[in-house]
Amino acid sequence: MSSTLKGITLKGSAELVAEFFSFGINSILYQRGIYPPETFTRVTQYDMSLYLTTDSKLKNYLTNVVVQLKEWLFDCTVQKLVVVITCLETNDVLERWQFDIECDKTAKESGCPREKSIKAVQEEIRSVIRQVTATVTFLPLLETACAFDLLIYTDKDLKVPEKWEESGPQIITDSEEVRLRSFTTTIHKVNSMVAYKKTDSM
Amino acid sequence: MIKTNGCNLAITSCHVAGEEGDPSSGFEFSEVTRARDLYQRADIFMKMDNMEDDTTVFTTLKSFKSFISQPDTWHHQAETSVGSGDLQAQYIQKIEYEDAAEKIHSKTRFLQMTQEKNQMELSHKRARIELEKAAHISARDFEREADRNQELLTRIKKLEEREAEARKVLNEQTEMNRALKKSLEEQNKKLEEKDSKMSNANETICSLRDKIRELDHKIINQEMHLATQATENEGLQEQVELQRKKYQEANQKYQSLQTSECLNSEKELKIKELERRLALQEQDSVIVRNMRAELARVPETERELKRLREENSYLRETKENSSLLKEEVEGLRRKLERLEKIKEDMVNLELEKEKLAVKLQAWENSSQTTGLNIRKPEDLWREIVQIQQREIGLKQQNFSVTSSARALEKARMQLQNEVVQLRTRVLEEQKKREQQDALVRRLQKRVLLLTKERDGMRAILESYDNELSASEYSPQLTRRVRDAEDMLQKAQAHNSEMEVQLSKAQEESGSYKLQAQTAEMELDVLKKQATNADNSSFVVAEEVNSLRQKIEELEAERSRLEEQNNVLEMRLERHNLQGDYDPLKTKVIHFRLNPTSLAKQERQDDVEKLREECQRLREHVRSLQAGGAVATEEGAFNLPPSQEVVDLRRQMESAELKNQRLKEVFQKKIQEFRTVCYVLTGYQIDITTESQYRLTSVYAEHRDDSLLFKVLHRIGKAR
Repeated sequence: MSSTLKGITLKGSAELVAEFFSFGINSILYQRGIYPPETFTRVTQYDMSLYLTTDSKLKNYLTNVVVQLKEWLFDCTVQKLVVVITCLETNDVLERWQFDIECDKTAKESGCPREKSIKAVQEEIRSVIRQVTATVTFLPLLETACAFDLLIYTDKDLKVPEKWEESGPQIITDSEEVRLRSFTTTIHKVNSMVAYKKTDSM
Repeated sequence: MIKTNGCNLAITSCHVAGEEGDPSSGFEFSEVTRARDLYQRADIFMKMDNMEDDTTVFTTLKSFKSFISQPDTWHHQAETSVGSGDLQAQYIQKIEYEDAAEKIHSKTRFLQMTQEKNQMELSHKRARIELEKAAHISARDFEREADRNQELLTRIKKLEEREAEARKVLNEQTEMNRALKKSLEEQNKKLEEKDSKMSNANETICSLRDKIRELDHKIINQEMHLATQATENEGLQEQVELQRKKYQEANQKYQSLQTSECLNSEKELKIKELERRLALQEQDSVIVRNMRAELARVPETERELKRLREENSYLRETKENSSLLKEEVEGLRRKLERLEKIKEDMVNLELEKEKLAVKLQAWENSSQTTGLNIRKPEDLWREIVQIQQREIGLKQQNFSVTSSARALEKARMQLQNEVVQLRTRVLEEQKKREQQDALVRRLQKRVLLLTKERDGMRAILESYDNELSASEYSPQLTRRVRDAEDMLQKAQAHNSEMEVQLSKAQEESGSYKLQAQTAEMELDVLKKQATNADNSSFVVAEEVNSLRQKIEELEAERSRLEEQNNVLEMRLERHNLQGDYDPLKTKVIHFRLNPTSLAKQERQDDVEKLREECQRLREHVRSLQAGGAVATEEGAFNLPPSQEVVDLRRQMESAELKNQRLKEVFQKKIQEFRTVCYVLTGYQIDITTESQYRLTSVYAEHRDDSLLFKVLHRIGKAR
């Protein structure tokens, strides 16, 4: 585990980023009300209380995705992760939470840990998640029933695993974009942004 | 110990008395009595068996001292009564007396002591014996006590053993109690379990009895059903028979129909065959007609054939001719083309010829214009060659000139540098010379100073020499001389230091001057070079201007391109935020079983389900409207059970249960009643059929003996 060593290795960085995604996606689902709040339970992570889902199907799906994502982070073949929120009635994409991942490929060859404390990385992650919670104030309300999907942008030559398939980018028509904070483990840098469909009243 | 102490006391008391001395013998008796008294006191003290030895010593010593002091007073009194005459003789006598008395004293004392010692020994022995007795007695007592102790200890041990045993027994009994209690509890629990089981069994029995009652009820119902159905069955059977007859008639008709149908079909087949034959024959007739027509046409065709063959042969001949002619035509065409080309070439050549003629004329004229005696091109070539040679020579000269110029320049530069160097050297030399002059002047000054000093010193010395004869002031003089010399030396040292500093300062200033002069020289050189460069700068300025213009244009373009770049980057950023990607390098994948697709699927399923339900409900409504209220007990519509229905069902179930229980109770009671009747009256009453009753007596000989009774009219309830 990277927490026992002083620095951060590629494997440790992949784990940190995967952990952040796992909690971040849960936070987004809770904050946007995709699933009812009573299906979430409170946990403490990064020195703040976050919400994790207790729905077994959803948990299963998230673990599948996160495990695969961790592998790809280790191979440095993943470029973006996108949480797409679709309205079920009209099949329109209402929101897009996009996380760009920049990987330092030299870490694969060198193998020596980087000098950055895990506390500092966790501080940065905390500020990102806080900002995600705060953005809910200006995002338009999701009044209809919605469902979410996780898209991953990878290198073209990557072998698509069995349970995965290619899909479109599911871009929002007529969108507003807001750039959020980023955090870096010196091996992986994650930039976050949110794009939402402009409501007619604006 | 006590005894020995007491003896010591007595002995010390006697010794004390003896040491003091007492000259007169008359006092011996009193002394002896006193000693005896003391001894007795000591003995008493001993016998009292006291531990206060020190106090007794002190008391006896006190008494001894008091006793001793008394004879002194007596002794003094005796001395005063005699008188002062013949003091010395008396004195000597007294002394003798005293000595004798002392001797006697000592002898008496010795005797006393021996007596006392014997007595002491006796008493000692008595005391010892007594003590031994006491010891014996005490030992015996001690033994008795010890025995008693042991007895008591043994008793105590026995009692303790008994106590331990009793405790063990107690513990065992308590343990047994506990075990018994546990067993009791267990048995209680078992009993409770059995009770519970019993209660459960009772409940099951009750439920089973209820079930039995229900089943009986059901059986009765079903028997009734059976009866009704039997009647229905009979009716149905009659109907069945009717139907059978009808069926048989129908069968017969059917069979007749079938036969007729067969006949029909056979006839139809025959008809079809005949028709087919007819058709065929018609076709044949048609064919025959055609054949006839064709036959009529045959001779004409033969004629045509002949004609065609002749034509064919004719055409073949002509074909060969035509091919030959075509070849000729082609050859002629090619020739034509070539000739046309040649014509064109000819025309071009004529034009060229005219041009060349013109040129030649010009060339020929040029010879006249240039006046170089050129009539042929060879002359021209010669001239050209000459010119080229001249050119080559001139170039060579040029090169040589330029090289000499460069060499000269280099030499000039070198000379300039040498000049500079020489000048610097000159300056240095000048400086050195100046320094040397300064040194010389200083030295001259020093020399002057020294000479002056020497003169002064000489004058002083002469003066001193002149004054030497006056007094012996040589030491002072020498001192003064030394002082003066010291001062001189100091002054000289100071002087030399100052000169050194001065020389250093002059050297520095000289070096600075040198540097300044060399800098001036270089400046002059550079100015000369700059003036040289200014002459050629005019040409350079034009180039510089053009370069500047180019730079400005390039900068303008650069800024424009930068703006474009910024705009494009913004657009790219925007697209990136929106989620665009380069399809050649990235692809987008997602999990197959993702929540959105699942949700969409569910939605579709829900929508379909709702549609189906809608359809069903519409049909149901239609059927209701069409057929009126029909009781549908099948529950095919899956209406959600309303609260009323649930309540009604519950009521029904409770009513049924009540029914069952009532039946069971009734059954029990009836059974009881019947048995009581049988027992009390001796007759068993059974119901055989609806209104027939059978009595069997207890005292009947055979089992089957019974009395049958029939009810003629209904028995009403008696009020």
